[in-house]
Amino acid sequence: MMRFRLRILECLVIVVLCSPLGTAQDLAAFEAKVTEFSLDNGLMFIVLERHEAPVVTCLTMADVGSVDEARGRTGLAHLFEHMAFKGTRSIGTRDYRAEKVVLAEQDRVFEALRLARAQPVPDANRVADLESQFQALEQESQSLLVHDEFDEVMQRQGGHGLNASTSFDQTTYFVSLPSNKLELWMSMESDRFLEPVLREFYKEKNVVMEERRMRVESEPVGRLLEEFQAMCYLAHPYGTQIVGYMSDLEALSRSDGEAFFTQFYCPSNLTVAIVGDVDPAQVKAMAQTYFGRIPSGPKPAPVHTTEPEQLAQRTVVLEDMAQPLVLIGYHKGSILHPDDAVFDAITDILGEGRTSRLYRALVRDSQVAMYASAFPGLAGDKYPGLFVFYAYPAQGQTNEDCLKAIDAEITRLKETLVAPEELKKAKTRARGDLIRSLASNEGLAQRLALFQSVTGDWRTLFKQLEAIDRVTAEDIQRVAQETFVATHRTVGMIKTAQVN
Amino acid sequence: MKTVVQYMAVLWIVAGLMGCGVEQGGRPYQDLTYPELRDVALPAVQRVTLPNGMRLLLLEDHELPLVEMSCRMRVGSIYEPADKTGLAEIMGEVMRTGGTESRTGDDLDELLEMNAASVECGINLDSGYASASSLKEDVDLVLGVLADVLMHPAFPEDKLQLARMQYHSVIARRNDSAGDIASREFKKLIYGADSVYAREMEHATLDAITCEDLKTFHSRFYGPNRMILGVWGDFDSKEMVKKIADAFAGWTPVTQTLPEVKTVQYDYPSTVNLVEKTDINQSNIYLGHIGGRMDDPDYFALVVMNRILGGGFTGRLFKNVRARAGLAYSVFGRYSANYDYPGLMFVGCQTQSGSTVKAIRGMVHELEQMVTEKATPEELAIAKESYLNTFVFNFDTTEEVVSRLMTYDYYGYPEDFLQKTKQAVEQVSVDDVFRAAKKHLHPDEVQILVVGRSEDFDESLSALGPEVRALDITIPGPDS
Repeated sequence: MMRFRLRILECLVIVVLCSPLGTAQDLAAFEAKVTEFSLDNGLMFIVLERHEAPVVTCLTMADVGSVDEARGRTGLAHLFEHMAFKGTRSIGTRDYRAEKVVLAEQDRVFEALRLARAQPVPDANRVADLESQFQALEQESQSLLVHDEFDEVMQRQGGHGLNASTSFDQTTYFVSLPSNKLELWMSMESDRFLEPVLREFYKEKNVVMEERRMRVESEPVGRLLEEFQAMCYLAHPYGTQIVGYMSDLEALSRSDGEAFFTQFYCPSNLTVAIVGDVDPAQVKAMAQTYFGRIPSGPKPAPVHTTEPEQLAQRTVVLEDMAQPLVLIGYHKGSILHPDDAVFDAITDILGEGRTSRLYRALVRDSQVAMYASAFPGLAGDKYPGLFVFYAYPAQGQTNEDCLKAIDAEITRLKETLVAPEELKKAKTRARGDLIRSLASNEGLAQRLALFQSVTGDWRTLFKQLEAIDRVTAEDIQRVAQETFVATHRTVGMIKTAQVN
Repeated sequence: MKTVVQYMAVLWIVAGLMGCGVEQGGRPYQDLTYPELRDVALPAVQRVTLPNGMRLLLLEDHELPLVEMSCRMRVGSIYEPADKTGLAEIMGEVMRTGGTESRTGDDLDELLEMNAASVECGINLDSGYASASSLKEDVDLVLGVLADVLMHPAFPEDKLQLARMQYHSVIARRNDSAGDIASREFKKLIYGADSVYAREMEHATLDAITCEDLKTFHSRFYGPNRMILGVWGDFDSKEMVKKIADAFAGWTPVTQTLPEVKTVQYDYPSTVNLVEKTDINQSNIYLGHIGGRMDDPDYFALVVMNRILGGGFTGRLFKNVRARAGLAYSVFGRYSANYDYPGLMFVGCQTQSGSTVKAIRGMVHELEQMVTEKATPEELAIAKESYLNTFVFNFDTTEEVVSRLMTYDYYGYPEDFLQKTKQAVEQVSVDDVFRAAKKHLHPDEVQILVVGRSEDFDESLSALGPEVRALDITIPGPDS
């Protein structure tokens, strides 16, 4: 989840995460080490051999995120991600037949409870009675579990960095293992996407509610982002938060989770990336044996809601106990838009490193901000998103001072062509970033799956460079003029409240 | 279009026909056997000491056309005077942003960024660092900048002023986030607010720092005999040694002895502390006491104990406080050990205000369990196997290999300390863990810190101890 954080490392030390250029041959050689295949059920595998160390990273990316949730079911994509660690019909249970009966009964009681609570005047006795039935069933189901078996087996066998993440666009499950344990991953991972059992669903909802309190409700930047995104999007689900609304979380049932799995976790909606010390032929054979078991299903339709054109500038001011912060968002196209690489160049020129325009103007020279930068793609990249400028005002300076300085930079970008050296630097760094990213199995697996999932071809990862190399100063000016217009703009601010 | 129910029906039928599925399509994990893991081809790290006393560690890795450098310098904020707290951190920052005697910081920014390269510096609690990253053909340029920055920093007034502005802003923002407050105030509770291990930069101490201070601090600590330089990537070692020797030629060794640092004293008080924060609906909780050092003979048993208590998804804290009780998303805890000063023993979580005391009791209970009952053989096996089976990940990048050796060298640990740890962990028994836990954990002598909105707590914190201390975190003005 996207968060701005006020850590000194991230805000003050400008870590220049870029590195040297590789030649075209270096990249071609790397690309040649990639093998791809699809199973009969539609599940796509991307395998990249790297034999430097006897380890392998295995990653499953589901092309489903919080954007795919129905109204009233916010938080479900993320909650399902938590549930995917709770086991299957054979993992995590002492007796699945008995457990299944108890779980179904618990779902029935929960539905009744949900209805009872939703009455205009809830019947307190009935609610209390259902709650105690619900608790009794919870107890009973606990006695049938083998707690945390999935996690324990993976960690015990050498699983490293076992985790998962949910974004607006995708849900990603990953782990690195000693390379001799590839078959373990094949067995466990295919099982959890063949027949997951959403046990401890109602307990996990409490965990996710704590996550909402932590990320959104008790964190000033989280509070601002919730207001800001809601202000930027009238229709598209990029306007909500991944973690969901509290009332939706309270109402979600286990059958909601099962329906979500059935709709979105069919093989045609999954991409697997395997990077490390493996033999692609062996990967393919095992993939057929294990993942071939999963029945095929139609790929779910993408979100059809298109954000209507913004007709008026919007502003949201959050009075909060925290220090000031200002965000400016402009609507832009998705990662598939032909101008996507132009935004990468703009991001570099405005926001990357100590030579960037925003750092120089707002931090180094006028000192109105302690840090200022810009990035594309709030809240995601798959659908049209926002290009965002932001600044943390320096002590004693105001959001308005920062807004004025950012506006001056936006005007400059629209009125004057960027210098050739600035554009050259952006292109050099894009190449450097790519080469650096090739050094990590985890990073490679993530990026290969992401590009496959969003653009339909993992090779886009390597083609990005050609796209940014073609960007001209005129492109930047044109895109700035088209994008940074007042009616497509939303400003969000934290204004420091005076009271305690 | 099919309905969701139809999709589900298809899935259940197919799954039903296949029974549990695994017999026909692969094996359940219990039936798997694994090939032997091939040996890690341990790369040989070359060690060289230059005539000026600088120690080098080199490791060639020709996969990508990159060269990376990283250095450790014998310096730290523990050596700065209290009335100039922040001096070391500011010096580390301005050393790079302020440029050198012959090149301005802005010129360095331009030069490095045009080549997609970087040189960065900083000073931590008890060590200084500098790093450089470049394409193989730019290595001369980047090594030249690194050496210039380390040997001849200019410390100009304008960049000190810029750093002051940034750090004043950081100080002003330090109470915005409850999590930051909790970790900072807990450290102050354990080490003492004035301890070199917990003290904070303030507006007044920041204003007291001058360019002259930066220069003096630099010349006092920075020298080739106080530095370890690690290099890894695509280069020839012999050539690289010569390049480094040339780049740092003429740098005179530092002779001043290191200042004495007051050792940590701790007498296990039991306290309950509250930072009142009214804009949150979730409490940030830390509880614990002083921790230990890695040269303690019990360290290896404590590594295993930490995994049983708070390791990943399988530790007791995660299982009991999060997964079973649903009290927190984030729960953590361990007995931490540092190389040369005591770490912290802490357990913490974030829980809704209305379950604050319940969560504290739950976490204290987990500590009590560690010292009253032995771990099960199953718990021991999970902890040890997860450590041993992930051991290979200590060697999966050249950076880790070089950095670890530099760290051991810097703190005077044997270069095979990791291998020794592995051998010792293999031998740790349930009894070893129990004995170490009883000796090092003091569940009845913890300091408890809550950052939260007390009116919403499930019970008053006074239920946890005779006195609840209200901590004042008001940020002092520049004149105090």
